[in-house]
Amino acid sequence: MEKTPVKKTSKKDTKQLILDGFKTYVLEHGAEPKSIFKFTKDLKMKEEEFYTFFTSFESVKSAIWVSIYDSTLQAVESQEVFKEYSAREKFLSFLFTWIEELKKNRSYLLSLYEDKSKSFKGLPADAREFKEKFKDFAGEIVLEGKETQEIASRPIISDKYDEALWLQVLFVFRYWLDDRSPRFEKTDAAIEKSVNLAFDLMGKSALDSFLDFAKFLYQNK
Amino acid sequence: MAGKVKEQEAIPVSKVQRAAKFISTGAKVGGNYVKHYAKKMVNPSLDKEVLHQSNAEDIYNSLSQLKGSALKVAQMMSMDKNLLPRAYQDKFTMAQYSAPPLSYPLVVKTFQRYFGKTPEQMFDTFTRSAVNAASIGQVHQATLNGKTLAVKIQYPGVADSVSSDLKLVRPFALRLLNMNEKELDHYMEEVEERLVEETDYHLEVERSQEISAACAHIPNLRFPKYYHEFSAERVITMDWIAGKHIKEWMETNPSQELKNQIGQALWDFYHHQVHNLKQVHADPHPGNFIVQEDGVLGIIDFGCVKVIPEDFYQGYFSLIKKDLAVKEEELNKIFYSLDFISDKDTPEEKTYFKGVFKEMISLLGKPFHVDRFDFSDDSYFEQIFQLGDRISNDKMFKKSRQARGSRHGLYINRTYFGLYNLLNQLQAEVITTKPEWLK
Repeated sequence: MEKTPVKKTSKKDTKQLILDGFKTYVLEHGAEPKSIFKFTKDLKMKEEEFYTFFTSFESVKSAIWVSIYDSTLQAVESQEVFKEYSAREKFLSFLFTWIEELKKNRSYLLSLYEDKSKSFKGLPADAREFKEKFKDFAGEIVLEGKETQEIASRPIISDKYDEALWLQVLFVFRYWLDDRSPRFEKTDAAIEKSVNLAFDLMGKSALDSFLDFAKFLYQNK
Repeated sequence: MAGKVKEQEAIPVSKVQRAAKFISTGAKVGGNYVKHYAKKMVNPSLDKEVLHQSNAEDIYNSLSQLKGSALKVAQMMSMDKNLLPRAYQDKFTMAQYSAPPLSYPLVVKTFQRYFGKTPEQMFDTFTRSAVNAASIGQVHQATLNGKTLAVKIQYPGVADSVSSDLKLVRPFALRLLNMNEKELDHYMEEVEERLVEETDYHLEVERSQEISAACAHIPNLRFPKYYHEFSAERVITMDWIAGKHIKEWMETNPSQELKNQIGQALWDFYHHQVHNLKQVHADPHPGNFIVQEDGVLGIIDFGCVKVIPEDFYQGYFSLIKKDLAVKEEELNKIFYSLDFISDKDTPEEKTYFKGVFKEMISLLGKPFHVDRFDFSDDSYFEQIFQLGDRISNDKMFKKSRQARGSRHGLYINRTYFGLYNLLNQLQAEVITTKPEWLK
């Protein structure tokens, strides 16, 4: 894992070497390497060295997602204004920055996930670790939103908000992959629009008052 | 929630979403007509103004959500007051001031994309929310080294959606402006060209600097300084011009002398551009002018600049010669060259249109026929509106199979209508200067 302290600098380098090597291979061949043996041979390292860090190509892909997420979070949190943002703005800021990070890897991501039927199977598995980390982040945003009354607490449903935000992340990713507008400006607009919808739905609305009223009538019949 | 102007309300971006927006408006407008006729059965004296009023509201609501070029068209329609029923005008004038702003994270992102820095890193202070919304962008206030700056940021995707937006606006424009299709296409082409230019902020900075330098000698005018280093494709930074919009300023009851002073500055500004520079700030809507405390007129936003081709200029402005109406032959030649009439017209069409255009010219040229003109004269404007109403309802115009008037005329007309309207708002009396060759 990224977080574990690295004992020797060379270890970190090997890991990065594998990640970069994998990306390069996918970029050049449009597909994953055939076998770990072949892959490590091309990188001029022993196969067992690969297993010190990863168990399979799946875990390599997973690590790439996580590294994108980590650099996004780092970039977002380095902005001073981020702390002052409302929950909605924080999430917006995250997505905008994330798209920027994705952009650096667009070709790699396109060759792996452009095909919808294949990515339908592959993406959830590859992004599982990223999802866990993201849900921690989303959970914090939701919690903060609840404190500031930006997000309404509702029984059962509000526990699933982090899951909903994850679906939104997937939506933005898909939208971005298909986006052909210059500078992905359409994706920017899609992010604004969808995040607004999500936060409007999570916020206190007429529906809450309606349910409250219905409950009152039912209980006092 | 609906109808509330809220931050971060994004532009409906895909064509389908936009189309849906328009369809729902169309349905509402249709509904208004049904309501109107139902009411009319009960109360035959019902005025069409009421119908126009509710139509204007529904159309405005949908246009303001679309922002971008659709809003621009609404503005333009509100400019050409002579073309629009009264009730639409007021509603559309609102479009010139308010549109919902974009979220701050997107502003930050835009900055990072073009400058690699956040607004906070570039300026000493930077307002988190927009202080002003323009049709295709929003304005934030910033300070740097003690200077107050205005930073205009363009909405993402606006440049791309210009032409698809205009296609969507088409049926509405057709309905509202009472034009025939040929004429509208003629109009739309020119509009599209200008709008695409307007999304190019590099060009805007360039032109702003050019025109403001060329107009620097005119008294009582002020132009903001533009900052290249803080401007990019989607961002323009300029000096903040403090002051009041004309409407607000008029509420402070300025003296007639001051009103004339501002009016004269405005007139001189346009005179110099049209007759000497041959390119003109073609967006004289009230939001682009700011009256400052010392009685100086600040001019902002050079997004829409129309370059006037020489041959068009000659023909168009020779029309304002006072004695021209008498010289039938010369007039005919100009009418042909400006595409007012062509050989495709039947003889009676020719006579009819010539008559109408002559009337129009003598009316619109009126300020040029005297040395001083009092623009506070509402009856003059009433005449223009009436003529516009009459023309737009005239069968001969609707039947006409071809567009009338050179396309260059669209923006020049718009500029002069805008100028007249502003001067009327100012209640100013100005010395209506003319170029040498027209005297």
